[in-house]
Parts: sequence; C-alpha cells; structure tokens
Amino acid sequence: MRVEYINPFVEAAYNVLTEVLATEVKRGNLFLKSATKPVMGVAAIVGLAGEVEGRVLFDMSKQTAIKIASVMNMEELTEIDDLVKATISELANMITAQAVTKLHELGFKFDLTPPALITGDNMEISDQEVEALIVPMESPHGNIEINVAVRERS
Amino acid sequence: MSMTKTEQAKVPKESDRMKKVDFKMISFTLAGKDYGIDILKVKEIRKAGNFTKVPNTPIYVRGVDNLRGDIIPIIDLRTMFNLPAETKDSASLENIVILRLDSLVLGIVVDTIEKVVGISSDSIQPPHPIFGDINIQYINGVIENEGRLYIILDVDRIFGQSEASTHTAPAATAPEQTSVDAGASEAVIEAPTGVQVLPLDLQFVGETLAAFGQFQLSPLNREWVGSRLAEWKKSRQDRGLDFQLTQKDEADEFLATFPSPFTGRLWSSEAATSLAKLMSFETASLVVWNPGCGRGYESYSLALMIQTCFSEKNYKIWASDNDLLSISTAPSLILEDEDLDLSWTEYTVQAKNGLQFNSELKAKVLFEFHDVNHLNPMPEVHLAVMRDVISYLKPSDQDKLITELSDKVRLGGYLVLGTNEKLSHPDWKAIGNATWSVYQKI
Repeated sequence: MRVEYINPFVEAAYNVLTEVLATEVKRGNLFLKSATKPVMGVAAIVGLAGEVEGRVLFDMSKQTAIKIASVMNMEELTEIDDLVKATISELANMITAQAVTKLHELGFKFDLTPPALITGDNMEISDQEVEALIVPMESPHGNIEINVAVRERS
Repeated sequence: MSMTKTEQAKVPKESDRMKKVDFKMISFTLAGKDYGIDILKVKEIRKAGNFTKVPNTPIYVRGVDNLRGDIIPIIDLRTMFNLPAETKDSASLENIVILRLDSLVLGIVVDTIEKVVGISSDSIQPPHPIFGDINIQYINGVIENEGRLYIILDVDRIFGQSEASTHTAPAATAPEQTSVDAGASEAVIEAPTGVQVLPLDLQFVGETLAAFGQFQLSPLNREWVGSRLAEWKKSRQDRGLDFQLTQKDEADEFLATFPSPFTGRLWSSEAATSLAKLMSFETASLVVWNPGCGRGYESYSLALMIQTCFSEKNYKIWASDNDLLSISTAPSLILEDEDLDLSWTEYTVQAKNGLQFNSELKAKVLFEFHDVNHLNPMPEVHLAVMRDVISYLKPSDQDKLITELSDKVRLGGYLVLGTNEKLSHPDWKAIGNATWSVYQKI
C-alpha cells in the first residue's frame, strides 16, 4: 500500500474514535497481512474506488460493537439490533470519509461506497489479490481492527 | 479450490515421509540426556571394566582394553563432553559402545545403552547454532522420536580430528551426513589464503547467520559467503580465535562486507552511468520495480539514472519496503549535502526541512508499505532492482521470488542484484561488471 495512504487512515481512525467515544484510544503496531483472516463478529465494509481500488474493513467483536454503539447513542444497548448496526455503519463511514478527505487534500482522489455491515460467527475474510494493512485500535470498550486494502490501478 | 487440491496432495506425502526408515541409530544416555550414533559405525556393545591405564594420556582416555585379542582404546564420552559421570569403583563394569571408524576401533563409555531407533534421515534437523561453538561441529543433527529428543553424534568428526587436518576433508564426504542443502555444497572452497572451507563449515556459518543476522545462505550468495569465510577463518586464526560465530556482533562483523556499494546513500553519477551503459530499452516508457528500497535512496538514484541517461523515456518506479519506519520517510527524503552528487543538484529543491528532490522526480517514484513475500500486483516490468534483498528472505521465499521475477520481468528486461549476489538460472544471462550484478532476461 502506498505510504502516503497510511497516515490519513490512522489519523482519521484515531480522531474519530477519540471524539465519538470521548475516551483515550491507543493505536497498536501496524502490520501487513495477505492471508485469510478471521473476522471477530461484526465487520463493516466500505469500498474505495477512483484512482485506486480497494476497501476498508472495520472488524470488532459483538461485545465491542454493542458497547461502542451504547456510548455513541448514550443509552444502554444489549444486543445487535438495528440501532447498533446503523451506529457501527455510521462509525465506519465517518472514519473512512475523514480519511478520504485527508487524502483529497494531499491530491489523491478516492470515492467511497456506502458501508455494508456483516455480522455472524466463525467468519473469515479472504484477500487473495491484495495485501491488507492492519491498524489495531485499542479502546476501553474493546479493540477494533481497521483493515485497509488499497492498491493502485495499474 | 486450488488450495484444497494441493493440500490433499500433500497429506499422503507427509505420512509417507514419516514411515520411511532409512537411518538407524544406537541410542544411549549421557548424564540423563539421549544421544544417538549411526548404527553403521557401531561394531558392538558390551560391558567391561578394569581398563589398563595408559600414562600421559588426556583425562578422557580411560585406558586400553583387550577385545578378544585386539587392544582398543577406551574413551569416556562423559568426561570428554564435560558431563558429570558417576564414579564407579574400578572393579564394576561400564557400558561400552565399540565403534568401528575408517581405520580405528575404539570403545566409548556411556551411562546406559538403550535400544536401536529407526528414523527417517529426512526428519533429522540440523543442529542449532546456539548449541555452542565447538560442540556443534560434533553433532550431525537432532531428531525427535516417540517424544524424546536425540542428539546424533558425528563420531567421525569427534574421533577423526587428527586425520582431518592431514587428509583432505574426510569428514565432509562422510556418507551419513545430512545437510539441508547437500546437493549444492560438495565443493571444498580453497581460498588464496590457503585456509580450507569445508561444506559443513559453510553450512554452520550459514545457519548462524540466519539466526543472528537474518541472512540466508543460498546459491545466490554461496560464493561470497565461502570466500568471506576463508578470509574470516584466516583472520580469526591469526588472532587465536575459533571461527564459529557465537554472537550477533560477530555475525554483523562477518556480514559487514556484504552490502553493495552505495547502500543507504545515493549513487554517484559515475556509478549510475556505468549501470545505464549495461542496459538499453526499446519501449518509450519504463516500469521499474524496486522492492526493499529502505529509506528510498536506491529508488531516487534509479530515477536520477533514468532521468539523465535515458532522458527521452517516460518511467515509473514502484518502490516498496516492509519496514514501516524507513518507508514512511522515503517520499520526503531529506538530503544531506554530502550525499548528493553535484551533477544532480538541478533535481532538488530547498524545502522547509532541508534539501529534497523536486516534485517532478518524486512523482516518478511510488513508495509502498509492502511485503515482497505477499502478492506483488505489478504490471510487467522492464527493470527490477533488488540489491541485497533476496539474501535476507527465507530460502523457500527466495525461490518463489526468483520464479516470480522470471514472470514479471519482460523478455530482454534487466534484473540488478547485490554486488555479492550471483544468480545462475536458465532464464537469466549475466551481463554485469565488478560493481553491478546485472542479469538480462532471455
């Protein structure tokens, strides 16, 4: 993944999560991954198009999703209902949009697709064609892994 | 689908390997640890004691014994290896393994003799460098059998030491040796210094370099490692030291002369011109692949070379590295004045942090955070530059990358390897010189 793309995603994730959760979040070490990867339980996907092709995946456990949605909605939620799903989709949208805005300022033109939310147990994601950058974010409500797979159109 | 197919194909092969028994060894214990000796070296086992002491011999020589009329020396392996040995009174009997080596029959005293273990020689693992500096030479390998780890001793080396220095490498041709890359390493390297480098020495040093320096011995760099080892042995002997590498800084010192010229800095314009003279391109646009670019000096040097020597070409350089810290600084590399060849000043601008390349040159180089072992989604390239990159990948990954290079580089395209890396492959023709290790795809 192009070096210039990394920081906008990391910064956007940090900024948005700090803001909506109103708490301290920590970024873990970035790493690259190309093999099949298990999904923790709730995954929001935002597609990227334009000068590049790829997608951003926000991966977290169901428990984390419920806790984050509770904080964002300022009410106690207990199960993955429509509100939780909408909240997590919105979170994914906010982070990706902010990253794309930052990238636009640097001169890279990205378009994004509406987020899709996938929930379930024992899921895996396969990226045979593209290497993914994993940005682990740690918050008191649980960990979120942001999985960015973008490549240049060649 | 294709993955499951290959997995299925692999499974029966694995179990075949497990079943194949082509190596038998006598197992015994020394100070509670399990050891093995190739059964073909063992004449017999027996109990004996009351050996006749021979004066003025090393402490591990227990004496001589009369084996049905033959007088054989008896050696206590525990004393020899500095292991604790329980002292028995002189009348009691000891467990003896009688070995028959090329010209020599001798007995070794061990704690207990267990049984004959049949194993597959494929599953013998080479000794790990951290076993120690001297003893590693005496170990053929390590094997796990029924939950126990056996250290297989190389008795030819242990007891053939004095001959090894007079004859030409008898140990190296011992048939039971299991070398991970035996096929490629038969030759004894004779250096101008007159110091011999045995294939086994090369293998040991290779393993140590992999453990300490992430450097992987392979056909690509064997020639360099061999001549470096000869030089190293000589200089270590002169200082009265053993040549085995036991620490990371020794491995680093060993590798100090490996990196190609202009590693971690910009090339001089003469060097760039001399590389450019080796190559010619017909197409109007060039795609260059530069994995392992580090902080980007090499990638910019390539851009400058194309800019000055192939000025009519349009080009794009795909540079990548898996070190996030290095690659992050690459797009806006700050140049020190002494780095820069004066003839290249026109491609730089004074930015607020210091001297940088101008945006025209920067736009030609695309830096990616990427692991070359993962899928490389590249168009076909005209030139691939990976100096001192392949030598630091695992041997299996090295092969994979070399195959991928044959695929990715166009016919007539070029591959630049590290100065000390030599590729011999039917797809590639060497066209380099002393500084540049260049290959053309044929």
